[in-house]
Amino acid sequence: MIQLHKLLFFISILFTCGVINAQQELDTIALKDVFAIRVGVDISKPIISLINEDAGGFEIVADARVYKKFYAAIEFGSDNVTTEEDYINFTTEGSYIKFGGNYNAYDNWKGMTNEIYVGARYGLSFFNQTLNSYTPNIYGTYFIPEKVEPNTEYKNLSAQWIEFVLGIRAETFKNFYMGFSIAFKALTSQKDPENFQNLYIPGFYKVSLNNFGFGFNYTLTYQIPFNRK
Amino acid sequence: MKKYITVIIIAIISLISCEQDSICIDATTPSLVIRFNDFDNRSEIKSVLLDSVWAEDKNLYLKNKSLDSIAIPLDLNNNSTLYYFGANAVVDQINLNYNRKDIFVGRSCGYKTIYEDLNIKSITNNWIKEIEIINTIINNDTAAQVIIFH
Repeated sequence: MIQLHKLLFFISILFTCGVINAQQELDTIALKDVFAIRVGVDISKPIISLINEDAGGFEIVADARVYKKFYAAIEFGSDNVTTEEDYINFTTEGSYIKFGGNYNAYDNWKGMTNEIYVGARYGLSFFNQTLNSYTPNIYGTYFIPEKVEPNTEYKNLSAQWIEFVLGIRAETFKNFYMGFSIAFKALTSQKDPENFQNLYIPGFYKVSLNNFGFGFNYTLTYQIPFNRK
Repeated sequence: MKKYITVIIIAIISLISCEQDSICIDATTPSLVIRFNDFDNRSEIKSVLLDSVWAEDKNLYLKNKSLDSIAIPLDLNNNSTLYYFGANAVVDQINLNYNRKDIFVGRSCGYKTIYEDLNIKSITNNWIKEIEIINTIINNDTAAQVIIFH
């Protein structure tokens, strides 16, 4: 975890320098409003999977400005994560897609496209859960339960949810953007496995009490410059 | 707007940090509850002074206690448990048979085992005069499943 924090710290420094760069670029006079498509990746996932061998996955992100301060956004990816709890161990594998929009609350100078945004997403995931092992939970130590390894696979599960997103994004180099966002999630519907539960859902991540969730991403995006002068 | 965002971020962080599902507080694997009744007046509860109670190959579960009911854990690695009940200076054996079923409780508790088709495989009658199963399913700790008449 310490390693992760360090990496995030250095990424943050990059990010800050980028903001300064972006502000220095502003001497040009006539700049058109840019309507362009940005595509990129969530760079936190490969970093986390390097540190934690139980976690693997990727996420592709894309967004496009549709009207003034409104952006349409889409994210899709996959997760293959093994979760170890006190009495259970299970693996979740599947893919997800999220779409929605952002509203940029940051007043840019003319020609700049930095963002402090709020947004909403609808998320959909299809996945399998594998119950690797569990130890029946009994109070006391008179009989010590043995670990059971059923390796039961629960297939064709699905979940839908909504997200509330907060994020920042800045142009670090020409057409390259770095962004960070956090998301607060709430499950709206799901297909549960029998005699088990969806405790982790790809794209939704850890399912907390009352079906709430939390997530973040660190994105590096490239703006396809077909409309920019 | 900046103030607004700060408030939202703080609200979200406090919501996340209040998460309370890391400690198991739900009921897990139940014990078998045995009640002691009077043999002559079958509906009357009659306490018994138990000298010793233990399961086969195990340490004493309890000794020298006067009880009108007892909750004993069952072996959740096997489909039978042999218990010894000592009272009035004699010992009786009760061999219990059952089927096990693991039920999912939650993230922090994992699975609990419940027992079904409870039956008495064998019993000795030194101080126990009769035994009756009133519920063949053991899925809670509150109601008795077995009555011992003495």
